Amino acid sequence: MTDRERFARQMRFQPVDRCFNMEFGYWAENYLEWSGFVENGVTTEAEANRFFNFDRIAVISGNTWMSPPFEERVVSESGNTRVMINRDGLYAEVPMDSHSTIPHYTKASIVTPDDWKREKAARFDASARERVVDVEELKKRHPADREYPLGVNCGSMIGKVRDMLTFEGLAYAAYDYPDMVEDMVETACVLVENFLDQVLPHFEFDFASGWEDICFKNGPIVTVEFFNSVVVPRYKRIRKKLEQNGVEIWYTDSDGDVRPILSGLLDGGINALFPFEVNSCTHPGELLDAHKGTLRIMGGFDKIQMIAGREQIDAYFETLVPYVKRGGFIPFCDHRCPPDVTYENYLYYLDRKQEMFGRLGADVVVGM
Amino acid sequence: MALLNDISEALQKGRAQDVKTLVQQAIDEKTPVREILEDGLMAGMGIIGEKFKNNEVYVPEVLIAARAMNGGIELIRPLLVEAGVKERGTVVIGTVKGDLHDIGKNLVKMMVEGKGMKVIDLGTNVTADAFVAAAKENNAQIIACSALLTTTMGEMKEVVQKAKDAGLHGVKIMVGGAPVTQNFCDTIGADAYAPDAASAADSALALCTA
Repeated sequence: MTDRERFARQMRFQPVDRCFNMEFGYWAENYLEWSGFVENGVTTEAEANRFFNFDRIAVISGNTWMSPPFEERVVSESGNTRVMINRDGLYAEVPMDSHSTIPHYTKASIVTPDDWKREKAARFDASARERVVDVEELKKRHPADREYPLGVNCGSMIGKVRDMLTFEGLAYAAYDYPDMVEDMVETACVLVENFLDQVLPHFEFDFASGWEDICFKNGPIVTVEFFNSVVVPRYKRIRKKLEQNGVEIWYTDSDGDVRPILSGLLDGGINALFPFEVNSCTHPGELLDAHKGTLRIMGGFDKIQMIAGREQIDAYFETLVPYVKRGGFIPFCDHRCPPDVTYENYLYYLDRKQEMFGRLGADVVVGM
Repeated sequence: MALLNDISEALQKGRAQDVKTLVQQAIDEKTPVREILEDGLMAGMGIIGEKFKNNEVYVPEVLIAARAMNGGIELIRPLLVEAGVKERGTVVIGTVKGDLHDIGKNLVKMMVEGKGMKVIDLGTNVTADAFVAAAKENNAQIIACSALLTTTMGEMKEVVQKAKDAGLHGVKIMVGGAPVTQNFCDTIGADAYAPDAASAADSALALCTA
């Protein structure tokens, strides 16, 4: 069974020879601190994937947002932090020592409808030449007879809007200027549709992907009403294009508690969650049971248990057994693996995953 | 009183300008400032907090309600001082050293203020020494620590230890944030864990009035 066949069958709840084996990557510090990476010269995610012999999976992405982006530059430096304008036009406070963290965003370049009108004209032209996809080049890179699953990136309908406005800025803008925010979502959708129209006729994609990151530990960063009335209809437009081209599986990346918007995601056609952070939501089994045969999850191995030790890793794996057996669930660390997971614990986790789900004669038969 | 109920309703809907107008009307009608605060603004924020805890509303609704409350508070602040209305307690809050995230911390701050407590916001990337110094300086009852990352939540243990070392036995340590759990709270010897901002405000008030 090829990686492509395995992924396709597992995500359709069908029996496979073994579980698809992938991980979501690592923090930058892991490459500097983990002995296995340091001693073997592993410095990138691609190198790590080869080092651990994970199954191959790839995604084709387009130019579906600001083009050109804002010019990134340093505004000021003070103490142990630096303030920068990033490519989304946000003022971002970051640590001087560049350790891995999510920046602290302080203000946005786009706040009012006038700001949006100006920047939309300058950066969001769907017909811009730089948005044209070199299909022939991509075909060479991902031939039709490939043995790995290939996805098409359906971008973001609201996550990138959040990136442009800040978390609080989006909440206020959706209340103060709802038409402006809806136009931002519409713009995002048009740019994704433009990309899909260029690539969908030329590839037999195995899945679609997306990124939103629109949930917080206590739920979504937009109101459920806004999500259902503004975002979901755009998902449906994209879903229609995917269906017309035979793409059945569509996952989106959103951390946090997705439960309040899960019915909207499913209604819009997104039928898989990635990387499914456990601690800020729930055990993946809860949602897989609630949406049996409909929802898929990729990720969902609680990193807190990987930090805790072998006993906790074993215990958590046991809780995943019924879901791996059922199919539609590919377990891996529930976000990029942080450096407070020791290399020894990580190896133990990988070995246990292999023993339980990842080889012929494994403890658990996948998809049965 | 109908006017105070209107303030509460407008606040819950995030109508900042309406809240200001109604609060000004209440001031003009000589409504006691404590009633405007407690039966209008805090009542509205309390309802939002309960709905937030019950997953009936989410962070965006809390943010716009808090923005509306702040508009009302600004109008009555001088009157509160004049009337000698005291805060119900003082909380020193911050995101721990190494962590620059403040969304969760800011939500807790809003909710705690909505309970009529004074909040000393130390911002992000706050050292254990700074938490302790601020608690001493402001005679605070609570130190509230936030963290988003597993790699930074360990700093909370340092805060607990430094507070003990400084002899702040009466100061309670509260912890919260995406990776933080009750088990972690117990392990590091903190006094309270809250799973969300509204619960944090409830706990803070309970600890201050205990």
